[in-house]
Amino acid sequence: MTAGVIDFLQLTVAGLSAGSAYGLVAVGFVTIHSVTGIINLAQGEFAMVAAFVAIALLAAGLPLPIAGLLAVLVVALGAAVVERVAIAPAAGSSVVAYIMLTLGVSITLKASVLLIEGPQSKALPAFTGGILSFGGVLVRPQDLWILAATLVAALGLYAFLERTVTGKAFRACAEQPTAARLVGVSPARMSTLSFVLAGTVGAVAGVVSSPVIQTDWNIGLFLGLKGFVAASLGGLASIPAAIAGGLLLGVVESLGAFYVSSGLRDAIAFFVLIVVLVARPGGVFGRTQAAARV
Amino acid sequence: MTQAAPRLTVEGLSAGYGRIEVLHGLGLAVAPGELLAVVGANGAGKTTLLRVISGLLPARAGRVLLDGRAVTGMAAEKLASAGLAHVPENRLVFPGMSVADNLSLGAYARRRGSGEAVERDRRFVLDLFPRLADRLAQPAGTLSGGEQQMLAIGRGLMAGPKLLLLDEPSLGLAPKLVSEIFAVLGRLRDQGDLGIVLVEQNARAALRIADRAIVLDRGQVLLQGTPKALLDDSRVQAAYLGRGYTEVAR
Repeated sequence: MTAGVIDFLQLTVAGLSAGSAYGLVAVGFVTIHSVTGIINLAQGEFAMVAAFVAIALLAAGLPLPIAGLLAVLVVALGAAVVERVAIAPAAGSSVVAYIMLTLGVSITLKASVLLIEGPQSKALPAFTGGILSFGGVLVRPQDLWILAATLVAALGLYAFLERTVTGKAFRACAEQPTAARLVGVSPARMSTLSFVLAGTVGAVAGVVSSPVIQTDWNIGLFLGLKGFVAASLGGLASIPAAIAGGLLLGVVESLGAFYVSSGLRDAIAFFVLIVVLVARPGGVFGRTQAAARV
Repeated sequence: MTQAAPRLTVEGLSAGYGRIEVLHGLGLAVAPGELLAVVGANGAGKTTLLRVISGLLPARAGRVLLDGRAVTGMAAEKLASAGLAHVPENRLVFPGMSVADNLSLGAYARRRGSGEAVERDRRFVLDLFPRLADRLAQPAGTLSGGEQQMLAIGRGLMAGPKLLLLDEPSLGLAPKLVSEIFAVLGRLRDQGDLGIVLVEQNARAALRIADRAIVLDRGQVLLQGTPKALLDDSRVQAAYLGRGYTEVAR
């Protein structure tokens, strides 16, 4: 392989790895938005808090896998508490009120972590060390961990939504809320569940990506914004499209930073967002808005 | 021994949206095994009446009793497990989910109940609507309007209800499908002690299968009686059956 091809493949793998994290955060946006209509501005903070919980548990002497799983569990339950305490009491409020509430949650989480952990960034150690070479293409093992964790989380979510009674009730509530109530599905419970699912996928993203992105108190802003861009590629309605949107964004970012300018890395996401919102407000992979409403 | 309570009793019911009151002190009752047709013009409050009974819309005054038990103000998702099934206007099937999943969600409120009873109801529904049996794996959104209506009714029956509310099942359907669906409603009426409230714009078809009927007008009960008495009433003929139109116009 020529050096150019190797560069391209290496950048693509790095992009897929970063994009997996965006995709998982995006899935969190979709699960909450599809059931409650809320854009959860604290979605990135779920990832950030999970990483810090895992780092703290590791420092307290727990083995890395246990620390990671516990961190995901803590954030999933924490997300349920957030929904019950901050979101549910405002049932029936306007979109703006919910934006304020989730923004408030986001700021509270950021400020708490800043007070406890300080401003410096921390990171979990890579799950396995070394570097792998595939025909000259160098890959960090952590990138494979990230891809694998994304795959497991996505398949787990898929199995839950497609195979379990509660998962089907969740989809019913997203597709046709009035009819879901009429068959006995409680919208309040499904709202809590949507936060648990969003907390879980966000936390997985935060924990597995911590070794490569360096977690600090403000990282949730970038993860959240990029996850939102990825979710909007699918019209905020489709989980597979959100993951695909995340992967696509990650790759475009990685290639753009190398071939165009590394200073553009973070601007690319917003450029993509503007283009999508202007040209295809229903999402690139999504249906058009009119069709989505039927 | 006391006489069994009516399946449904509605007393002095008022309800509305915002500053507009749609129902003004409305009352009615449905006995077990009875099919009550509710007819009336657009905007008479037919859909609002069903929405209040099933808990989708709060009542402003009055009460709703299911089997003699007050259920006024109970949330729709709770009423589903109290034996009430509401087949809403425009069907509202779950479009991205299969016909089979739509039906099993109909039994969602019975999760803790016996799987055997659910399976029996499933066979009953597929026997009533054999077209659904051929399309179990198909997404509900790809069904025709008539099939979606059948699915919506089937989903309601999967709750094993004591009271079935039907909102405009004939809406937008070809005449042949309307008679197919009304034939099934006739079968449901003749079997067991299911109480049925049938809201219909198509008054003639509804009166043909009803045991009793009421005519709603601007949120109040204008007339009630047997279908025959209503069909013979000149006011009903003029306003809802299209007969005598020329005399009124002149």
